[in-house]
Amino acid sequence: MKRTSKRASKRASAASRRGLARWIGARALGAALTVLIASVLIYGALRLVPGDPVLAVAGGRRLTPDQIEALRHRYGLDRGFVQGYLAWVGDAARLDFGTSFNYQTGVTQLIAGRLSVSGLLILYSAALAVLLGSAVALASAVRGGTVDRLAAAAASVTTATPPFVAAIVLLTVFSVRLGWFPATGAGEGFADRLRHLTLPAAAMAIAAFGVLARVGNAAFADELRREHVDAARGRGVAGAAVIRRHVVRNALGPLLTVVALLLGSLFVGTAVVETAFGLDGVGSLLVSSVQRRDFPVVQGIALLAVVVFVTVNTLVDLALPLIDPRAAAGGPRR
Amino acid sequence: MTVLANGRERAGEDAAAQRDALSVERLSLAVGHGDAAVPLLADVTVRVGRGETVGLVGESGSGKSLTARSALGLLPRGARATGRVEVAGVDVLAADRRTLRELRRTRASMVFQDPRAALNPVRRIGDYLTEGLRARGTPARDAAARALDLLDRVGIRDPAGALRRYPHEFSGGMLQRVVIAGALSTEPDLLLADEPTTALDVTTQAEVIGLLRRMQRAHGTGMLFVTHDLDLAAAICDRVYVMYAGRVMEESAGASLFTAPAHPYTRGLLEAGPSVRGEKAAIRPIRGRPRALAEAPGGCSFRDRCPLAGDDCAEAVPAYRTHGASVVACLRPERVAP
Amino acid sequence: MTLTIPALRARGARRHRPLGVSLAAAFLALVAATGLLAPLLAPHSPDATSLLDSLAPPGTAGHLLGTDSTGRDVLSRLMYGARLSLLAPLGVVLLSGLLGTAVGLLAARAGGWVDAVLARGMDIVFSFPSLLLAMLVVAVSGPGLAAPICVLAVSYTPFVGRVVRSVAIQEGARPYIEGYRVMGFGGFHVAVRHLLPNILPVLVAQSALSFGYALVDLASLSYLGLGVRPPDADWGSMISEAQSAVLQGEPWSGLVPGCAVLLTVVSVNVLAEHIGGSIGGKRSEGA
Repeated sequence: MKRTSKRASKRASAASRRGLARWIGARALGAALTVLIASVLIYGALRLVPGDPVLAVAGGRRLTPDQIEALRHRYGLDRGFVQGYLAWVGDAARLDFGTSFNYQTGVTQLIAGRLSVSGLLILYSAALAVLLGSAVALASAVRGGTVDRLAAAAASVTTATPPFVAAIVLLTVFSVRLGWFPATGAGEGFADRLRHLTLPAAAMAIAAFGVLARVGNAAFADELRREHVDAARGRGVAGAAVIRRHVVRNALGPLLTVVALLLGSLFVGTAVVETAFGLDGVGSLLVSSVQRRDFPVVQGIALLAVVVFVTVNTLVDLALPLIDPRAAAGGPRR
Repeated sequence: MTVLANGRERAGEDAAAQRDALSVERLSLAVGHGDAAVPLLADVTVRVGRGETVGLVGESGSGKSLTARSALGLLPRGARATGRVEVAGVDVLAADRRTLRELRRTRASMVFQDPRAALNPVRRIGDYLTEGLRARGTPARDAAARALDLLDRVGIRDPAGALRRYPHEFSGGMLQRVVIAGALSTEPDLLLADEPTTALDVTTQAEVIGLLRRMQRAHGTGMLFVTHDLDLAAAICDRVYVMYAGRVMEESAGASLFTAPAHPYTRGLLEAGPSVRGEKAAIRPIRGRPRALAEAPGGCSFRDRCPLAGDDCAEAVPAYRTHGASVVACLRPERVAP
Repeated sequence: MTLTIPALRARGARRHRPLGVSLAAAFLALVAATGLLAPLLAPHSPDATSLLDSLAPPGTAGHLLGTDSTGRDVLSRLMYGARLSLLAPLGVVLLSGLLGTAVGLLAARAGGWVDAVLARGMDIVFSFPSLLLAMLVVAVSGPGLAAPICVLAVSYTPFVGRVVRSVAIQEGARPYIEGYRVMGFGGFHVAVRHLLPNILPVLVAQSALSFGYALVDLASLSYLGLGVRPPDADWGSMISEAQSAVLQGEPWSGLVPGCAVLLTVVSVNVLAEHIGGSIGGKRSEGA
């Protein structure tokens, strides 16, 4: 134990810079590989459709041979899997996801026009979940006792609340009964939009709140038990400073990792919540496109989701050494 | 280096206690309530004079660390304490938050067993050494200069660079030096050393002990040295308390511990360890396993493991009596001598 | 660091079953029984419409939990809906349990590049949110539950696989396993006879958690109109059908199945936590 820690510290100081560069490179490469394989899967899904994919895309509509040929060409179906994939992914890299069959407009424009609603929705609900979740987690970890038990019960109920169940409860109480918030639509202007997005954001945030309250509580309680916290108290550091400088600061890493993971479920959550609240966003576009088998749109949104998710998680991974210097040294973080 | 006659007598000498760096009188500690209450310490009395080095020896679970921590008011969550704990005349158990904080900042410091656990891994060494100073309003620049001086005095090479580094970049021994520097930065009246060398390798141990002794002598600090190593305690301590199952079993002058142990447990500990003086004695472990106070038998806590135990040992906790150079809680100290 | 309070630990380790766990188990048993016995217990046909009785609140005579917007009895629909709502996630759990155990054991026993490839594969699956993957496959297969069940099983495989892999490596390192190998027992024999029993408790806890996730994911699909197809119904599609009634201020036909989803998932999670917790206790006692 002594010997390994000594060796670890020596290794860290000697090769830390080279190790850091290699570590960053490995993470970036891993992320790129994940996106690459995910894109193959997303593209491959289209080719998996039984029969001629074009007929499925057409959804029973009658097409002229010219149209069929044009469609086959557009999706690279006349080129075989590898060439078709390369063409598709090449276009996608230039943010060209093709043309929606249903809307007859570019998928990129379709998504871009709806991105502001969904983006704001995700950020809003993430902010709600993170602020409330970590506050409850900290209070329950520090106070313990009844506060802790209440928080644990609240976390276990909210974690299990799917957004569509939360949506009907929120709609019933705050929209239909109290009339505080509108039931549908995204509103005009920033303040009005925030008011319109409050209930949808809350519906998505509830489950994320539960997860964060639980994970945060574990992280904070874990840090509170550590000897350096006792040692800081023993040095006469004031209680609030101990919590801020030695508990919250140390628990940031695990919390940030969980927030990044939750982002994926928030992204998909927009599909449910935008449908429930009649919002015209990327999520509801995904749902209607799946229903109509509008493949270019589904592929575009799926790829976007994976890229955003992987990018955010990789960035958080790379940011961890700023929070915990041991993360980059390859040492155990916990 | 006086061995006071009796714990009870000591409790009366308020004037003497005022001068002590640490005075723990009949401290009892328990967590939980009613049937679920778990006793941790019972009637612990420990005294450390100014500039004196006092050992607190026992196996794990004996309550020695708890006793040391109680001097800083660091009690386990939900613990209730009775008795009295004074550090340089300040009543720790009755102190309000501000007084306690002031006491921890100026009067008493602690050095922990594992420096790697005692330092926040995500904060720099400089932050650790200056946190207290800056909290008291010292400008950052002055605090850094003071930290630099401290690191230099405990023998850290390149102190300026060390301030910017993180704990995981140091070896255990170097890190313990940093902790000692921090502990002595306030020139405290009392230094609590909780197994400060257990996590270090042997050569580093000697260096750290030497450093502790030097710094202690320079400042006239009283030191409570918590250890499970009887040899080490006897070697460096003026007096030694031996604890078992949350109680003090014996108080003895450091040197006489080997020649005349007065408690069967002390003798057991001596025989269980390898002899450092070249005598050819077989290692004889104490039978049974160490007990915490909550699981110890009534009467004398040690009687279920004691080779000398009789029926009378079960009647009551033995009162302290003087035997030779020791004060001991045993009915038959005369039969203990080797 | 020598601050140990063994007596406290001894007391804390006393095994007991909290009230919440018993309640959760009882609720799940009730839901499963009503689903199983729906044809016997349901007071009405789940599909019998009666526009005169539409949107009756709970407690109405003859309709204990009220009726929906076409006058169908909510209690009867809830009972019949429980069948698909519970069976489909059960399918996901069984499939992902099988897949995950296979992948985990393979990774643990093979090690080396096989382990590395499987780990990377699980990372990739992990980077697709499960519901997104399910929607992607529905886009290809059309609405229905069969394809989503398979795809969700794949999506949950990493959770099981990682746990099984770590337990298998941990147990595999124990001396007695080596002993069996020295005695000439094959890898398969060791895996089935000695690793599996150790893995089972962890597998059960993880499966209970996965069941809750799968229930929510499948109900979400049905809510979005991408899951069960009428006339079949599960709790998700019931909530979907109640959407307009909710906006008219008649939320009951949506709230009732919503509560069913919520309580079922809470109960499953409580059980999973209890199982997981007692495994933790047992493991640390053994160590």
